[in-house]
This record gives sequence, structure tokens and C-alpha cells, in this order.
Amino acid sequence: MSASAPSLSPLHIALRIIGAVGGGWLFVWGFTTLGIALGIATGMPYDEARTLLYLLAFVVFLVAFCWSFVTASIARVWLVLAGGGAVMTGGAWLLLRSIA
Amino acid sequence: MFQSFRMSMTWLHTWFGLVIGYVLMVCFFFGALSVFDREIDRWAIPETRFEPQVLPSFDKMLLPIFEKMEPLEEELDAARDRVGGPLPESKPVMGYSAYTTHRDPVLMMFSEYAITNNPDDPRDHVHGYITIDPRSGAQLSDEQLKIGSEFFYPLHYSLHLHWANLGYWIVGFAALVMLAALVSGVVMHRKIFREFFTFRPNKQAQRSALDLHNLTGVVALPFHFFFALTGLIVFASIYLPVGETMFEDVALKQAQEEAAATGLAFDPAGVPAPLASVDAMVVEAKRRWAARDMTGEVGFLAVNHIGDANSYVSIYRAGTDRVTLTGQGIHFKGSTGEIIREDPPPSAVEGVTDFMTGLHLQHFKHWMLRWLYVLGGLAGCVCIATGFIFFVEKRKRAHAKSGSSGARWADAVAVSTVTGIVIAAAGMLVGNRLLPTDLPDRGFWEESVFWLSWLAAFVHAAIRSAPVQQARISPAWREQCWAIAVLAVGAVVLNWITTGDHLLKTLGEAYWPVAGFDLALLAAAALAVFAARRLRLREIGAIEQRETSSGGAEAAHA
Repeated sequence: MSASAPSLSPLHIALRIIGAVGGGWLFVWGFTTLGIALGIATGMPYDEARTLLYLLAFVVFLVAFCWSFVTASIARVWLVLAGGGAVMTGGAWLLLRSIA
Repeated sequence: MFQSFRMSMTWLHTWFGLVIGYVLMVCFFFGALSVFDREIDRWAIPETRFEPQVLPSFDKMLLPIFEKMEPLEEELDAARDRVGGPLPESKPVMGYSAYTTHRDPVLMMFSEYAITNNPDDPRDHVHGYITIDPRSGAQLSDEQLKIGSEFFYPLHYSLHLHWANLGYWIVGFAALVMLAALVSGVVMHRKIFREFFTFRPNKQAQRSALDLHNLTGVVALPFHFFFALTGLIVFASIYLPVGETMFEDVALKQAQEEAAATGLAFDPAGVPAPLASVDAMVVEAKRRWAARDMTGEVGFLAVNHIGDANSYVSIYRAGTDRVTLTGQGIHFKGSTGEIIREDPPPSAVEGVTDFMTGLHLQHFKHWMLRWLYVLGGLAGCVCIATGFIFFVEKRKRAHAKSGSSGARWADAVAVSTVTGIVIAAAGMLVGNRLLPTDLPDRGFWEESVFWLSWLAAFVHAAIRSAPVQQARISPAWREQCWAIAVLAVGAVVLNWITTGDHLLKTLGEAYWPVAGFDLALLAAAALAVFAARRLRLREIGAIEQRETSSGGAEAAHA
């Protein structure tokens, strides 16, 4: 508490926050849609899969959000959250197309 | 972000806590008030001060009222925008529904009308909404704002910012930050167990504020975590709208398949048919609940596909006897009254969600648990408010030296979101008692009193916070405490003068909705006076001096 934090550039802070919030949301979106698609693919009713993923989504968001401020590199925040979110969303879309 | 894990978490806790804490104050304070939203409604609308009623006869009372209902003007305006032109003369009625709870003397009635000329959305529709006195069927005036359930309650999750659901998104983000603040708060404090038992009210403000911040944060940690998380889950379909986007086709297909499987028709048949006695269906539903040994009052009743051969009536139980959201819906064929289906028990996943959201939405009948919710919510407010005070106290001396106004503004906004929201709420109640009863659009003026009181509190806090820049306490805290005391006592007195329901009378009759709220207002006033007097002592340095003379080691570097 007592140690004062070294100062960071406003750009660093902005990129970090946008990465945590926007990237975090995209990651959770990917996680949720991929989860639901996987659920449907394995025979779960859509409603049930959606309800289950909604229960998990915000815990995942919480972990992603906290992690983005702990991890050293901003590039990693963006790559994992935004990149991972995009990949999972794409996976969900492909999976959905193959089973629908 | 920083070299050490703890430092990164501290940064997160400090800055998100400060900025989003202002929003969280609104969520926690008005969320705590929402626990008794129906009781606040009774206080605000004196003609509804009578005992809760069960659902009246549908056939004799409700149906004739439903048939006279009209779509709401504002919904028609919105529909015109969607259609991009005039609406058809005829708007076929689609459905009727009625909702009440074990705390509601009044009954809310909803109707749904098809908008048939929207090429983009063949299912486009608008709603009608009225509130009635179920004893007589008399409609309550639309001008009467239900301050508890229609203003304070939605304020705590939507901030009344409806454009693009902006308020929901802000509150959702605030809930996420609340969760992150709890996690980072635990990480920051290694000696969490010892802090649990530490409160030194006579130390310097920074130390006392931190003690109380840790104490309320730790003691109510599960409560805070749970409410922030379940709040997000309740509105998950807004934050992650999968059903309207990627899974739209899947969702529609499932709904149609389900309708086919359950016999609850998704679409009307297009063949006219009369409606059988709904009262008889209610009797049958109650009989079936009783057979399962459940208290059987109707909470929600809906008639779908009005006047059509596919019409069905869904009757849901008011879940007063358990935490989880219940329904035990029983569905009847509208034209004959024969049973179509009883809802099966929820699956494991649905059961967990129903329990979690039920714990947040509290439809149950358990007054002690209800009060614990209020205390939990207020503990959240104390935790956030002491966080603000700690932030300011920690920095104000350094800022005073460097000439920065940061601590001053943080303090001014803190004043307006801590004492300011109480002033706004109490001011609204005073306005509710003072505005003429026949004032057109009375609810709008009550809301205006709220927003203007809040604005006034902010302006006052901003003007009076200059001493913070000299590392002193802003007198705005104390002055606004006095304003709270005056407004809260004023509301109680005005309630007496305008309705004759003074405390001796309401207590004597054990009419708790009004007696309880009056007592709560008086308790708030007493607490505000106590706080104002303590703040005065702080301002003139009496408490710090006392501490120094008693040899407090930590006061040495105050």
C-alpha cells in the first residue's frame, strides 16, 4: 500500500484499460459463444447451454480483467484477450455452421 | 503492469474503485432501498395503503378491464419510429397478463398488441400497462409514480439511462469492477483476519476510514461478491446478446420445437375461439400446487394468443416460500380450460441459475432476511464511502503542498454520491408529499425533484470543498448531513400532515410498510445528526488533539 507506483504514460494506461475492458469482453464473448456451440454440438439444448455459459461468463471476465492489469506486456493482453476472443468466436461460428 | 503483483492490484483497486465507486454507490444504496420497494410505493401513494391482496376474479373483474386497455402512447411513438410511418388503425390484441406479489396491495396489468405493418419484424408489438386496486377494480392514476418499484429499483440497475441500454452497460461494468475490487482488495491486505477485528474510530480519519473500509469489505465480502455476480447474471442476455445475434436462428428453432413438444403454441392458429373460464383454471392450478404441498397463491397469470384457437393460459405460483425463483407454471388450453402441461422441475443448470437470481431478486417472504439484505447493501455503501475518504485523506496533504486539486474533486464527487444521493432520495419524498395531488404528470415532477436535488448537492459539494486543497475537511460533508436530517424528518412530518398517518397510528395498527419506512427515515436523520456532530469535531481538530494527548503513536505523523 505504502510503496508509490512508478508513473506510467497515459497511452500505456489507456491501452491497458481498453485491452482489459474491450478485449476482456471479446474474450468472454468468444468463450460464451464457443461454449454454447460446443454444448449444442454435444447434444445440450440451446437454452441449457446458454444458461450454463452465462453462469461461467462473468467469472471468466473477472479473471481476464484482473489478469490484464497483472501481466507485464500490453501486447500479450491484446493478443490473448482480443485475439483469443476472435479465434473462439470464429470457432463458434464454424462449429455452428457445421451442425446447423 | 507493475513490477509486483500486489502493486498492480493496488493500482486496479485504487483507480477503478474511485471512478466506478461513484456508480457503485448508486447501485448499492438504491439496491438496498429496493429491498423494500413495494413498501416505499405505499408510503409514496397513500391511497394504496391497504393490505396485500390476492389475484381477484379474472372472469368478472380483470377481463372487462383488459378489454378496455390501450397501448401506451410512448410505445406507439417508438413503434412509429420502427415502422417509419403511421401505424394501422387496428392493433389486434395478442396477450393479457397480471402480476402481483405477497407485498403488493395493487395489481399490475399488462396487455400486448400486434403491430402488423413492420416489414422488418412480423412479430413487432406494443404494450399497455395499468395498475388497479384489486378490491374495486378501480384504475390508479398514471400520474402516480411508484417511487420504490418504478424509480429507485430501476435506478439501481439502469441508472434511468435508457438510450442504447447505456445505464445497464455502465452498471454491468461497475459490477465487474466491484468483483475485481473485492479480489484485489483481498490481495492487498495480507492480514485480513486481523483487520476484520480492527476499528479505531478515534484515530486520524485516514486510519479510521481504512479500518471501516476493511471491516465492511471483509465482513460482507460474500454478500458483495454474490450480488455483483448475480446482478450480472440477471442481465447476461443484455451484456452477451447471443440469442439475438449468432444464435438467433438456433434460439427461434428451439422455441418452435419446444412449442411443438409442449403444446404451448408459438403462433396463433388464425381461427377465432372464445376464452373459457380462467377462474376455473386458477382453482385447478391451486389444487395442483396444494397437492404438492406448496402455498398456492398466483403470482403471474398470462393469457396468450387472445381470441384464437391456439390460445393458452399460463398460471405461475408466487414463490414466497423459497429463495429460488419458482413458477411451477401450469398451462391450460384457453378455449376449453383443459390442462396442456405442468412445468417439469428445472434441470441442474437452471436450478442453480434460478437459485442465484432468486437470491438477488428475493421474491420470498422472510422479513429478517430482507433486513439483512438492507444491512448488506448499506455495508457496501459504507465500504465504498470509506474507500473514497481513505483515497482523499491519503493524498490531500501531498496535493495541498503540490497545489493539485485532484483530492478536492475526488472529495466533491464523493460528497455528492454519498450524502448527495441520500439528499436526492429524501428530497424526492418531500416533493412527493408537497406537490399537488392533481398536478398533471406528477411523476415527472417528482423525478425532477430527485435529479435537481442531486445536482444541487453536487454544486454545493464542489463549491464548499475548497478546504480540501488546504488539507482540511470539506464542510460539505457536515452540511449535507444536516440537510439529510432536515429532509428525512420533514418527510416523516409531511407524511403525517398530508395523510394523517403518524407513527403512533401506523405503529398502533402495525401497518409496517409506512411505520417501518417512517422509522427508517428517522433513523437516517439521527445517524446524519450524529455524523454531522462528529464531523464538526474533526473539522476543528478536536478528535486528532484528543488522540495526540492520549499518546497515540500514529497521530505523530498526522
